[in-house]
This record gives sequence, C-alpha cells and structure tokens, in this order.
Amino acid sequence: MKKLGAVIAVLVLAALSTIGLAACGGGDDTSSGGGSGQKGGTLNATYASFPDYMDPALSYTAEGWTAMADVYIPLLTYKHANGEEGSEVIPGLAEDLPKISNGGKTYTLKLRPGLKYSDGTPVKASDFPFAVERMIELNSGGSPFYLTIEGAEKFSETKKGPIPGIKANDKTGEIVINLEGPRGTFTNELGLMFVAPLPQDTPIEDLSANPPPGTGPYMITKSQPGKGWEYERNPYWEKANGKAMPDLPEGVVDGAKITVIRNPQSQVDDIEQGTYDWMQNPPPSSRYAEVKEKYEGTQFRVEPTISTYYFWMNTQEPPFDDVKVRQAVNYAVDAKALERIYAGQIVATQQILPPGMPGYEQFELYPHDMGKAEELMKEANPSDTDITVWTDTESPNNEAGEYFNEILKELGFNTQLKIINADNYLTVIGNATTPGLDAGWSDWFQDYPHPNDFFQPLLAGGSILPTNNGNFAKFDNSAVNKKIKELGAEQLGPDQEAAYKDLDKEIMEEAPWAPYGTRTLSTFVSDAIDLESVIFNPTFGHYLSSFEFK
Amino acid sequence: MSTEPSAERGPWSLALRRFLRNRLAVAFLGLFVLIVLFVLAAPLWADNVAHTGPNEEHTVEQITVDGEKKDVVTPEGKPIGPQWFGADGKFFLGADGRLGRDEMVRLMYGGRTSLQIGITAALIATILAVVLALLAGYFRGWVDGLIARTLDTIWSLPVFLIGLALGIALAVGGLKIGPLELSSGSIWNPILVISIFTVPYIARPIRGQVLALSEKEFVEAAVAQGAGPVRVMFSEILPNLASTIIVFFTLMIANSMLFEAGLSFLGAGVQPPNSSWGTMITVGVELLNIQPLLAILPGLMIMLTVLALNIVGDALRDALDPRGKARMDAALEFEAQGGIATGQQGATA
Amino acid sequence: MTRFIVRRLVAMIGVLFAVSVIVFVVFMVLPKQNPAQTLAGKNATPGLVKNIEEEWGFDDSLPVQYATMMKKVFTGELTSYKPRLPVDDRIIEGIPATLSLAVGAAVIWLFFGLLLGYLSAIRAGGWLDRILTGVSIAGISIPVFLLAPVLLYFLSYKLEIFPNAQYVPFSEDPYEWARHLILPWFTLALLSIGFYSRVLRSNMLDVMNEDYVRTARAKGLSERKVMTRHVLRNSLIPVITLFGLDFGATIAGTAIITEAIFSIDGVGYYAAEAVKKFELPPIMGVALYGAFFVVLLNALVDIAYAYLDPRVRLGESASE
Repeated sequence: MKKLGAVIAVLVLAALSTIGLAACGGGDDTSSGGGSGQKGGTLNATYASFPDYMDPALSYTAEGWTAMADVYIPLLTYKHANGEEGSEVIPGLAEDLPKISNGGKTYTLKLRPGLKYSDGTPVKASDFPFAVERMIELNSGGSPFYLTIEGAEKFSETKKGPIPGIKANDKTGEIVINLEGPRGTFTNELGLMFVAPLPQDTPIEDLSANPPPGTGPYMITKSQPGKGWEYERNPYWEKANGKAMPDLPEGVVDGAKITVIRNPQSQVDDIEQGTYDWMQNPPPSSRYAEVKEKYEGTQFRVEPTISTYYFWMNTQEPPFDDVKVRQAVNYAVDAKALERIYAGQIVATQQILPPGMPGYEQFELYPHDMGKAEELMKEANPSDTDITVWTDTESPNNEAGEYFNEILKELGFNTQLKIINADNYLTVIGNATTPGLDAGWSDWFQDYPHPNDFFQPLLAGGSILPTNNGNFAKFDNSAVNKKIKELGAEQLGPDQEAAYKDLDKEIMEEAPWAPYGTRTLSTFVSDAIDLESVIFNPTFGHYLSSFEFK
Repeated sequence: MSTEPSAERGPWSLALRRFLRNRLAVAFLGLFVLIVLFVLAAPLWADNVAHTGPNEEHTVEQITVDGEKKDVVTPEGKPIGPQWFGADGKFFLGADGRLGRDEMVRLMYGGRTSLQIGITAALIATILAVVLALLAGYFRGWVDGLIARTLDTIWSLPVFLIGLALGIALAVGGLKIGPLELSSGSIWNPILVISIFTVPYIARPIRGQVLALSEKEFVEAAVAQGAGPVRVMFSEILPNLASTIIVFFTLMIANSMLFEAGLSFLGAGVQPPNSSWGTMITVGVELLNIQPLLAILPGLMIMLTVLALNIVGDALRDALDPRGKARMDAALEFEAQGGIATGQQGATA
Repeated sequence: MTRFIVRRLVAMIGVLFAVSVIVFVVFMVLPKQNPAQTLAGKNATPGLVKNIEEEWGFDDSLPVQYATMMKKVFTGELTSYKPRLPVDDRIIEGIPATLSLAVGAAVIWLFFGLLLGYLSAIRAGGWLDRILTGVSIAGISIPVFLLAPVLLYFLSYKLEIFPNAQYVPFSEDPYEWARHLILPWFTLALLSIGFYSRVLRSNMLDVMNEDYVRTARAKGLSERKVMTRHVLRNSLIPVITLFGLDFGATIAGTAIITEAIFSIDGVGYYAAEAVKKFELPPIMGVALYGAFFVVLLNALVDIAYAYLDPRVRLGESASE
C-alpha cells in the first residue's frame, strides 16, 4: 500500500510539475494582471514555529489549524470569510447541515457522493467513525468534545470499537450520530478538524512527519517537523471534490512552501524584502507599530480574534472570596495601560465574551477609577493580604503580570509574583496542589464561535478539577451553573444569544475576573500578494486557498 | 619559594608595590570601585533625584520635559528615551520598557543584584572548591578519585539545560533539601546554580597545587611532628594557596556575573519584578529596534565590570607571583579551563 | 597503559550514568509535574489524562520510568511527546548545522587566537602586546546573548551587510552557507579568541625561559627560527589539549544561544525547544550524546597525556 502510494505520488508530482511550470510561465506575465490577480505560483511563507502536530486528529493550536484548514475538510466546516461571517457553519463533506432530532440527541448527515482523498481513495461514510475512533485512540486533546457520543466514553477507556453511537452506511452515505444528551455545541464541533474523515488504512499513530491524505484543495507533500512543510494542489480536487463541493474555494496558488523562522524580527525583514510572501504570526510587538504605520492597507491588516485576556481571582479563598475586593481590583485595572503593554495588540474590553462571539454586547461595569477601588478596599478591609500572583513567560503576558502585581500592591496587598514557563503555565495553575493560587493572568481563545465555549470550561462549577482545571477563579455559582447547563443543551438562536448576554453581565457583577482586552492578530504579506483577497477566519485563521499573487 | 610561611610580610607588601606599578590595573581597579559606588548610590538617586522606586510603573503617566508634556510610554508601546536632566532627573536614561519604569534607577538597583550574586556565588564556589581540592590533593586515593569523577560529572552536564530546568523547577515550587529551603524568586536560586557549576573550574587547578605542596618538606615535617590531617591541610597548605585563591576569586566574580546574566536571559535567574543587568538586557534585546540603549546600557555595565575584574585579577596574579613556576602552571590551567567556563557560560548564556 | 585506559573508560561510564540520573531527576522529579497533564491540553478530562499516563508510562514508578527511558536511549527508540516523533531523527537532522557552526567557529578562533597570541608573545611588554591583551580581555567580557542580537540588528537589519541568519545547507549552496554563517561563527568564536591568545602568550613566555631555547639561541639560530621551531611548537601542545576539551564543550552545549538567536536549526536549538516544553526524551538524548562526546574527548586527552607523560600514569596508579 505504501509503495503504491509512493508510485501515485511520483506520478502526481510529475504531472503537477508540468502544470506548475505552465502556471509559472503565466505568472511571470505581470502585465496581464487585471482585477482579480493571477492564478498559480508558489506561495513562500513563514511560520514562527512548527505546529504542535501536523496530524488533523491531534493538532490543537492556531498554527496547526491554519496549516491544515485547506487540507482536511470535516463533514461540516466554516464559511471561508472574514470576521463574523466566517463563524457560520456550512456543509463540508456532508451534503447539508445535520438534521437534529430526538430532542437534540440525534444528528443525521449525508456524505456527498463522488468524493476522493488526495491519494485517489474514495471517501466512504464509515471513514467518519474511523476518524473519531482514531482520534480517541490517539488520546487527542480534542477528544473531550466528542465523549458525549453514545459509547465514546467507554471506547476511550477500552479502545475497543465500534462506537455504538455512530452508524455509517457506505452505500447511501448516511451518517447517524446519537448523543447521550443534547449538546448545543455539537454542530460547531463537527466542523473541527479533529473529526475530519481519513482513509481507513491510515495508521493509528502521530503522522506529523508524513501527513495522511485529505480531501481539501491542497495536500501536504512534505513535512519536516521543526523546519517546514510544503503543499501542492490535490489532483483529485479538480477531478472530483471541487465539483462535489462547489461552495468551497479551489484556491489560487498552485502550492506553497512553508519555512519555520523562529526569529520574528527576521520574519518581518524577510517580508519587507520580499524573500517571503506571508508570515502567519503577527510581527513582534517591538516592530508592530512600525509595520502597521508603514503597510496598513497595502500589505498589512489587523485581524480580530475571538479571545479574552483577563486576570482571575480565586473566589473561594480570602482575600478574593469577598466580591468587594474583586470589584475593587476591576476598578483598579486600567485597560489603557494594558493596551500600551501589549503595544496596541489588544483592544480593551471589560467582559467575558469578546466581540465577534454570538451573544456579545458591549458593557462596562468597572470604568478605571482608583479612588473607587480604594474605597471598596477600605469597606472590605480584607484580613489576609498575602497573595501570590501568577503569569507566564511569554512577552507581553509577563509584563501584564508585573503590571497586575503592582496594581495589587497599590491596593495594599503583599504580593509575590511567579512567572511560569509558558508551555507549563496552564498545567501549573490548573493543578489544585500548587500552593498559592490566589490571582493571576490568563487568556482564552475560542475553539469555535459558540458562547458556551467560554462559560462552560472557564466559569462553570463543574469545570473545577483537581488537575487541568480551567476555572481558575474557582467560580461556582449555582444560578450561573444552572443557566450554563440549560443553555448548553439548546441550539443557538436569538433567544439563547440574549440569554448569554445577560449571563455575561450577571457573572461580571460577581467579578471573578478582571478582563482587560481581546487580542488582535494580523495579516502581513509581501507586496507581491493581493492583500484584499486574503481571508482571516476567526476559527481557522488564514486560508491558504485565499492567497493570490497580484 | 616566594611565599614560604616564614617570609610573612615581605612578599605581600612586595606584591602590593608590584601591583601599584601596573597603572592599567590600578585604573581598572578604580573603575570597579566607581561601579560599586554607583550601585551603592541607588537609594540616594531613587529618593532624591528620580523620585521613584525601581519597580514603580508609570505606563500611562506623562512627564513634563522643558515645559512640554510627554508620554512615558506611547500608546504604541514605545518607552521614552533618555531625558538627562530635562525632567529634573526623572527618566534620566528613559523608561525601561512598556511598563514605564525608570531605567536609571533600575540600572543601579539591578547592578546591586548582579554584583551581589557575582560575589556571593564566587565566594561559595571558591570555598567549596578549595575544601574539595584540599581533600582530594591531601588524601588522594579513592577520595581523590571520587572528587575527580564528581567534578567530571558536573563538567559534562549541559550547564545551560540544567540551569534552565532548575530555574523553572524552582520558580514553580521552590526546593527543599534538608535544612536548605529555596523559595521561588529568591536570588539564592541562581547563586546555587552558578556556584555548583563553577566549582570544577577552580577545584581542578588547586588540587594540582595541593598535590605539589603536600610533597614539600615543610608539610612532611609537620606530619612527622604528628600534626593531624586537618591541621596540615588548613594551617600548612592553605596559607600557601592564598595568592592563587585571591586571583581565582577575582576572576570568578567576573565569571559568575556573566553566568548570572545568562541565566537571567533564559528566565532562570533573577525573577521579575526585580532587576539585574541580565534581566535588563533581556528586556532590552526585545526592544532593540525601538530603544537600542535599553540593551546596550546594562550590557556595557556588565562588560566594564567583568573587564575591570579580569584585568585586576590578571595584575594580581603577576604581582603575587611573578616567577613562581608551579603557580604559573596552575593559573595557566585555570585560564584554560576558565576559558571553557566563560566560553560555555557566555555562549550558553 | 592498558590498565590506565580501562580504568579511565570505566570512570567514563560512571560519569555518563551520573549525568543521566541527574538529568532525569531535574526534569522528571524536581518539577513535581505530570507531563500527561500538559500533553492533555486545555480541554482535558481526568480520563484523558489517565489514558495519556498509561500510553507513556507516566504512572509507573520513577525507577521503572528511568529504566524504560535508558532502554529507549540504547535501542534508539526515544520519542518526543509533541509531536510524537523519534528523537534520534531530529538529532541526526540537526548535526550538519551544529557541526558547521562549531567547526567554522573553531577554525576562526584557533586561527585568530594563535595569531594574536603569537604576535603578543614575541612583542611581550610592547604596545602591540598591550593592545592585543586589552582586546582579548574585552572579547571575553561581552555576553554572547547581547553581542549576537546587537550584531544581527546593526549588521543585518540596519546596514544589510549580512543576511538574516538561518541555515543554508552546504550541499545546497556553499556560498550562501558561508555567508549565512559568518555572523554566528564570529559571535561564537570571539570569546575563545581572547582565551586562546592569552593561553598561547603565557605559554610561549614560559617556554622562552627554558634552557633548550637559550641553547638554540646560543647556537646562533635566527630569532625567527627559534620562535617558530622551538618556542611555538612546544607551546602549542597545551593549546591543542585545551582545544580538545573546548571543542567538545562547544558542540555539547555552547552553541545553543547562538543557534537560537540566529535561527539555526541545529541540535542545540532542538534541545532548547525541548527544555522550554519540559520534554524529557529529547533533553535526555541530547544531554547524553553531548556528555558522551565531552567525556570521551576528556578521556582521550587524559590518555594522550598519560602516554606522553608517564608521571601522570604513575601518579594515578600510586594514588589507587
């Protein structure tokens, strides 16, 4: 099988190289470039780091999702569009959005006919349960999203399939998923790459060095972990998948070569000099202002993300068990100072849900007011004022932590600042045995555009865990818990969005967090690229298929 | 035989005279003293001129320079540059970064930390090394073997990796070994790491010297008179090592300061919000293209201090022992190994 | 002699064992952290953590974990956590870059170190000697992590004399390979140039006082011949020894920061990345291979010394 794959790959490469040459020839002829730019060419791009995994079942980082979004298409996917429009779930390999029945517990989908993987294998309905099983067997960080599928929990313990909750019919292409309870976020979750169908002979191991075939317009032809990877057009896109999924873009460039450059300063220089066409990560904060001023509108664009940066306070232990103290901290934190600390790469907000998330409506309960903060502190008069403040080493989060530390000192606390290595930070502050978890920094980027993705993991009482805790404030309010649970079972509609809006305010009145901003990222391309056409999706980031040469 | 115990005063005052004749060394000794005075003056400057502490933040504040209002940190996150006396000494050297702290004040306080760590670590490492070298060189046999292999082990450890890991581990929970308790953020963490890793560089050459000394007649005479090992080691051999130890100690301060800067650069040294020259370089390097001074100033301070100590150490060696062959060898070997030490720490670092 | 070599090799194994235990303790025991929790990600459930513990054996007792890991080191089966790939492959891939960096820097530091050392020795006490000594001492007083970004900033970004680092394989384009490595080479070499020149200088001054040099002079040999044939040749031996030790240390660890700042994808950078993530397998791999290299070179130097100088051998056996 492997050999056959290799033979096919060689043939495909040979075929492609001739096409590529022809396309390049066309690309050189810049004079004809009118309106929508040139088709073809190879995009030379750079990432600051290699994704955590180059395997759709395992990757759980923005880099990984961006790198694979146009390679592995799940049954459902997100609209290839900027901003809020890009949060819409649309059919991917499935013909239509799922039919939800049985009180929100049964999802029925139908696979589009005639789909093929990039190695020529036809896509079968049973590839979906295979992908789910493979992901769970690999102990993927994404598996918790799918454990409400009937029997999935048990499968994750025994690793003995099949999962009874998924029925797939290869003849009709019908896929029926039964959940143990209604789950309003499941449609969003079906649109994540964790469960993108894969051929059933895909090995159950991390394939980062040798990514499996996919269904998207591009395929990864080479992957060198730590160094870079390459894309070429999926030959079966034109032959099969493109016709079957006309609503998904086919892509403009013929391929791409990604190089990992760890020094972001060098990355910026390289884009300026045109050595590379695009950098995936934003410029370093010290270059940000300069790049923005020089290139905004021509080669640079600020991109919103659906994220919240916040300081948490442990609501279960003194001194932060007193709501007045927490409110005082909220008044004392000055989002304007933090905007400067982040060199303009955050936009100030004071609430849990960030702009762009359904249910967001701006409010400001605690406008910066040091006098009010001190007054509240006087009223509360906390007896225990020795606290530890936590943050991670990533700049400028470490500086945000130092800022928070100084603010707390000003409010009269005796503080000790602990700055933890970024890769271990969440593990350390999520472990109940770590001493002194009083207050600290954290951020949250959405997994998918659904407000439950903020409230459930970060603020529901049930999410307080002895290890890998995500509810750092240890916020456990029974009224809030009930609302989160009820809303989480419902499908998202206008009523639910309104309810989430109220929930946001209700929690902020309790002030378990002092939120201070939402992060912006950026698109920065060389002058050879048409900035207008580049799409930044709030969930998947930049789509490779949207890049085109001028 | 220049430092026989019988010749008590002669050699030392001779050495002093020789040292004073070396104008360059005297000038650099003066520079070192100036640097020490500079960092000692930190509270004076902070209270009377800058009117701010080393960790006080002024992110959103404005200062008046020659009647003109200026942001300490611009909304784009650019810290203000040197104001000299434009704002009555406030932000004399500008702000230290996006948190808007006074660079001059931090440079002075940071220097205190750097020197403190350098001197303490060098002291601990020298004492440990001398004791180990005495034991190894005097008892020989399995004691020597064990100590030599232990030093080999430390030598072969990837300093950078271990230092970094220890720093991270200590930052999380601190460490408790018997009565010794290290809490996170304590400057004893980098001191401990530095002294452990620098012991081999001093212990090896001194051991050689102890070996040579213990075969001398005056030692054999002492043993024949029934002196116990402790007495022989500490009252017969140790005084003869004095000049070597002084030289090593001077050079090791320089070495430890570079090492500290390296550890801090990697996030395993001095913990924020406190500053050392190493942590300041780290912040500065990130802002190199906005305010290059922020990296260059603390770098220059380290460079000058290390340079001064190296030159003084060199001159001390020449002054204390202009002809002594045995010590020359030892010092040479030290230099060779010190080369590795700094090479490693510098580069690691 | 054979006995000496055998004993030296046994000691070497002991040192390597100690290194492996220390690395294991520092990364597995001291942090008091369960790597499974970090691996499980931001959405982890207790079940997932348990599964990952089982998969990687984090639930075994520490001695068992140590034994398993060492077995993997010897069978070449070490696997990194994230992504789950063989450690040896990445190390082998990184060797050309690290070797290019280390060898190039070594050539530069030997050449300039010896040249400067020789010049200041034959002009000992003169102004050239003083200047060169000053330069050497200044060279060893600059922290690399400051020098490297400053050089990169001024020479590469501001003046655009050199390319932004990155490693270009020699096989791809020898000219670009060298052009990209010039800055890193000099950065890495600068420290050692200072030391080597000083070592050579004091060595030469020592040798000049030896009887045989005086005899050679008395025989009427030209000063130049005396210097090159007798003094330099005899002063080089300790320098070469030192080089044996230093080169190992450079490859084993010194290049790490240089690699990181100049984005050179070598073994050092791989290790640094692993430390950041607290991934034990790559760290253990790099540390042990590196230590092996250093210890082996140390042992070879010792053995060579013992061969050349019987006193060492006797002293060692007498002390046993």
